[in-house]
Amino acid sequence: MSAVVEVEGLSKRFGQLTAVDDATFSIEENRIYGLLGRNGAGKTTVMQLLTGQDFLSEGSIRVFGENPVENARALSRVCFVKESQKYPDDFKPKHVLKSAPWFFPNWDAEFAERLVADFRLPVNRRIKKLSRGQLSAIGVIVGLASRAPLTFFDEPYLGLDAVARQTFYDRLLDDYAEHPRTVVLSTHLIDEVSNLLEHVIVIDEGKIIMDDSADALRGSATTVVGSTAAVEQFTAGREILHADRLGGLSSVTVGRLSPAERQAAAAAGLELAPVSLQQLVVRVTTSDTDWSQES
Amino acid sequence: MTTATLSETAAGARPAPPNRIFAVVRLYFVSPSTAIVVPWMILGFIFIVNLAIWAIIFSSVSSEADRADVQDGLSYSGASFYIFVYMGIVAIQAINLAFPFSQGYSVTRRDFYLGTSLAFVLLSAGYAAGLTVLSVIEDATNGWGFGGHMFTSVYFGTGPWWVRFGLFFTIFVFFLFLGMIFATVYVRWRANGMLVLSAAITVGLVALAALVTFTDSWPAVGEWFVSTGVNGVIVWTLVPTAVSAVASYFVLRRATPRS
Repeated sequence: MSAVVEVEGLSKRFGQLTAVDDATFSIEENRIYGLLGRNGAGKTTVMQLLTGQDFLSEGSIRVFGENPVENARALSRVCFVKESQKYPDDFKPKHVLKSAPWFFPNWDAEFAERLVADFRLPVNRRIKKLSRGQLSAIGVIVGLASRAPLTFFDEPYLGLDAVARQTFYDRLLDDYAEHPRTVVLSTHLIDEVSNLLEHVIVIDEGKIIMDDSADALRGSATTVVGSTAAVEQFTAGREILHADRLGGLSSVTVGRLSPAERQAAAAAGLELAPVSLQQLVVRVTTSDTDWSQES
Repeated sequence: MTTATLSETAAGARPAPPNRIFAVVRLYFVSPSTAIVVPWMILGFIFIVNLAIWAIIFSSVSSEADRADVQDGLSYSGASFYIFVYMGIVAIQAINLAFPFSQGYSVTRRDFYLGTSLAFVLLSAGYAAGLTVLSVIEDATNGWGFGGHMFTSVYFGTGPWWVRFGLFFTIFVFFLFLGMIFATVYVRWRANGMLVLSAAITVGLVALAALVTFTDSWPAVGEWFVSTGVNGVIVWTLVPTAVSAVASYFVLRRATPRS
């Protein structure tokens, strides 16, 4: 395993606002990463910094062992598909498909053709006149067919319907199996992609608050459901991530439970439910005040 | 030849940086409508309108002396001037969208700048060649049969063909690179940058005028323009052209694509 991205003490400030705050993490080769967080958490800024589109305030970034800023050697192995990507005024999708191979040495034109058919993208219509979903489809096609060793997708699904999104996930997985590469996916639709992700990085208010393999995260929290008295007795002394109460029933989310603890819970008549990745991210990125009011 | 070199390296494992400069150049021509097709169509339309006007004048003036007089008047034509200004605006629009687009293709700012500059020089050469050919035809056909002047105006369309080409080329690079500095300032600082740049240019011009006035140098300035001549003044525009080009590079170095 070697790291294709190494970030240390990375900060980015825009005037008074700290968009990225002392972030340290690394991205290993040939894995699919999820970069998750709320709107304005700093996801896009992190990706812009990693791809040399923006300049850091503090810290260091290494992409393929080098500083990515103005570095053609490192950047030629990177593809960044942005939700807000702009295109020249008179461009049609066919112009994008024609010019992309000049910039991405691994471009697969046949694969791109297949994707155009899959997404039913009209290649001869002006990009300005395309629907939001068709615009997103162009980005998805470029991101997949470029087969860049390091590919970033920043919320690539905007306006794509459920069928098109599933097509995107399927093609990504199929092609990733045949041509392993590193993919970083930033998304809000965590449940949809949770089976895709091998590693999850959660960012909140510019800070990295979670950086773990998806498998480890899935078992890292459990919801305990039962009568309020029994639940309170069981969860006493534990860190409580979330608590709901309805009448005499309580539902409390706590951290990882050992097999012995699980048995104890069952003996106390409590039900244990797994916490989905999405719920977990929601719980950890909801500010303290919010859930202290509930409990 | 360029194509062959490009596809050869594309097959190789690692692309050499210079290819991305040529790739940026090609980006400006992959969809030729804005930079090539539309300007020539407008120019063609203006030409047809002019041709109609010349025909009307020509048929209404009968005596030889009057016709010579009309021909002299027509040589002060500004009909083709629009194309230069238009290309300056094309430059602004092209950079404003091509920069964030090229960033999405992981192009460095340096390669984007060099590719854009090369594309602008090629565009200038192409347009200058086209206008030169048209001006030579205009001469050979005695103004398209009506003594008209569109490409041989006294400002830039006289002298041997290579002088005409040089003048056309110089004017095109002036407007394209002037557009480039406006575009790069906009890309980096948005509307605030445009305000500051416009204010700076205004203040600069006013200061220059004040300097000339207070030193009683207006006659000298006038003399300079007369002695330098139209061609000389056009050649002197290479100075602001070069300043714009170099300044654009430094403005672009720290520009970021915004959403």
